[in-house]
Amino acid sequence: MHDPLLTVEDLQTHFFTEDGVVRAVDGISFDVAPGEIVGLVGESGAGKSVAVRSILRLVEDPGRIVGGEVRFRDQTLVGFEDDATAADTAGDDRSDDPGDEPGSQPGRPVPRPEMLSESAMRQRIRGNEIAIIFQDPMESLNPVYTVGGQLREFIELNRDLSGRAAREAAVEMLREVNIPDAERRYEDHPHEFSGGMRQRVLIAMALACEPSLIIADEPTTALDVTVEGAILDLVRDLQERYGTSFVWVTHDMGVVAEICDRVNVMYLGEIVEQAGVDELFHDTKHPYTQALLNSIPRPDETVEQLDPIAGVMPEAIDPPAGCRFHTRCPDAREVCTRRNPPCRTVVADGRPHRAACLKHESAFPEADYWASRPIGNLERPAPDARGDGDE
Amino acid sequence: MGIARYTLWRLVQAVPVLLGVVTITFLLANAIPGDPVQTMLGPSPSQAEVASIRAKYGLDQPLWQRYVNYLLDIARGDLGRSIYYETPVTTKIAERFPKTMLLMLSSYLFAIVVAVPLGVISAKRRNEPTDHAARVVSLIGVSTPSFWIGLMLILIFVFKLGLFPSTNLVLPWADPADVTGASTRIDVLGTALHHLALPVVALGTLQMAAITRIERSEMLDVLSQDYVTLARAYGVRERTILRKHAFRNAQLPVITIIGLQLASAIGGAILIEAVFSINGMGTLILTAIYNLDYPLIMGTTLVFSLFFLVGVILTDITYAYVDPRVSYGSKEV
Repeated sequence: MHDPLLTVEDLQTHFFTEDGVVRAVDGISFDVAPGEIVGLVGESGAGKSVAVRSILRLVEDPGRIVGGEVRFRDQTLVGFEDDATAADTAGDDRSDDPGDEPGSQPGRPVPRPEMLSESAMRQRIRGNEIAIIFQDPMESLNPVYTVGGQLREFIELNRDLSGRAAREAAVEMLREVNIPDAERRYEDHPHEFSGGMRQRVLIAMALACEPSLIIADEPTTALDVTVEGAILDLVRDLQERYGTSFVWVTHDMGVVAEICDRVNVMYLGEIVEQAGVDELFHDTKHPYTQALLNSIPRPDETVEQLDPIAGVMPEAIDPPAGCRFHTRCPDAREVCTRRNPPCRTVVADGRPHRAACLKHESAFPEADYWASRPIGNLERPAPDARGDGDE
Repeated sequence: MGIARYTLWRLVQAVPVLLGVVTITFLLANAIPGDPVQTMLGPSPSQAEVASIRAKYGLDQPLWQRYVNYLLDIARGDLGRSIYYETPVTTKIAERFPKTMLLMLSSYLFAIVVAVPLGVISAKRRNEPTDHAARVVSLIGVSTPSFWIGLMLILIFVFKLGLFPSTNLVLPWADPADVTGASTRIDVLGTALHHLALPVVALGTLQMAAITRIERSEMLDVLSQDYVTLARAYGVRERTILRKHAFRNAQLPVITIIGLQLASAIGGAILIEAVFSINGMGTLILTAIYNLDYPLIMGTTLVFSLFFLVGVILTDITYAYVDPRVSYGSKEV
């Protein structure tokens, strides 16, 4: 296997609000190989957007990256000294823009020396190595400037092009994303574009900077289904031609099936299952993933009634003790209220399939799940106690 | 629609508004209790005197007749004769208007020049000491009446420190011969600025504070928009984001507020002229009201309304210029 392009390890981003600390991202790890489309799936509020923004260190106050590591190739985007919090000696390494850099303030983790400075992030990473596409194409373009002008500005910043050449590259890119009459549309303002067209513009923006990785933060959620389909086709086509890697954030399992190579399922700031897309759909290992799959219509199966996930997701400010999903989990047992399982490999052969569920006894022998009493969550019968014979 | 046609259209729209202003002012002025002729002639005038004055100013005609006559006069650019000054209203206004204009425009200039950077800095350094200081200043500014600020300024800078003159206003384009202690145009300009400083601060503080507050909140709002985050995500420098990606967008509501503040600035100017003994439109309108000088009341009100309307139209045009979505109404948003 290739060395991963992007590695996220135990990343933690918390929001320090007046009501308390919200652990929006609480120790997630995943990686992205070159040319791969990796999904990050979960309900709204699971922490997906915060997670991907943390990669580019774009989290805004009161949010702060408090721990973990993000590496891109051989560069450290996020990295802290082990077991050290800054003393009051701080202040000397804030020569850059006062952004949201996890600088050294009392009680904050100390950045390692190799962690890129804010200006290095700006000059070397943001845009030219990692580009991002946001969810809402209506809000992502500046209404007072022309679409072409914005595209050209980003191209000039992130590639060795300027003036006429940058303009031509911008028009070329608009053509690439199938915007008709690109030369003329270059001069138009965002309000003259439809939602789908604007999302094409944003994709053009991302590709135009020729990054190695594009983070797509629910880029099709705000679009209607036919437009979504067209955009997904476009992305797949461009991905094949440019070989760009993607981190694809979505809450839509249908989109995952359509576009992703590997998938990370997030619940309340944690990753609960990681697998290749086929394994995830056909050999689901985590009850939450199963619940997500049950809640979507599948064309290949006739289902009487869709099965929504019971209950609502708890507040991230006050997550349940033990496994965070146990309050809604049909398989929850007494031990689940006490132990919060990390993500461990449950199927070793082929691409590793990891899950954070105690019912996989081979991975969590210490939990003794099957000896524990079912808590009879949500009045649904627990699956027959066959041990983990299905593994 | 081009910007020229848009401007023309806005001007056409102003005509019915002005007509309404004329009508309401006319009725209101005539509804003021008291008789202008009596005010003019004192307690016991002779019947003949009263009748001749009434005939001279057309006050013997029925109200509707006077209204129609007034409209016809206005259409010819004639605002009638002042009963109190016994000169044409237009002459009086032409004499007073430049001072008020100078006062108001200078106050606006002062307000904008101070408020815009203050608001931007305040937003950029949110919850830092600079921001707190700016917010305290603007809160005091919006909640303090301008005449009180004027009186305090006179008390401190005129009577205690003796740094500024307290009365009248010198027009910067006045003839040096007419200005005491001035021999050149530069001297006149200096004297004018010297006289202008205190009234401008007194009148401009409210606008300055109001604009600062809206500038700050708009900048904060824009800085949290997705397109600003996107610019950041593509490696745009913070300075460029502030200057290019956020500033222009934040100005739209600021422009609106600047336009709307004109009304309060006109009211403020009347008070400030009284405080600083400036012979401008404000003093004129007060004199007109005290003396029940119908033509003068209506004339000054009309000019103020016209001034306000022009301000609002300019605001709209600026808005359309800054925000392509307005696009002079030709395209759907």
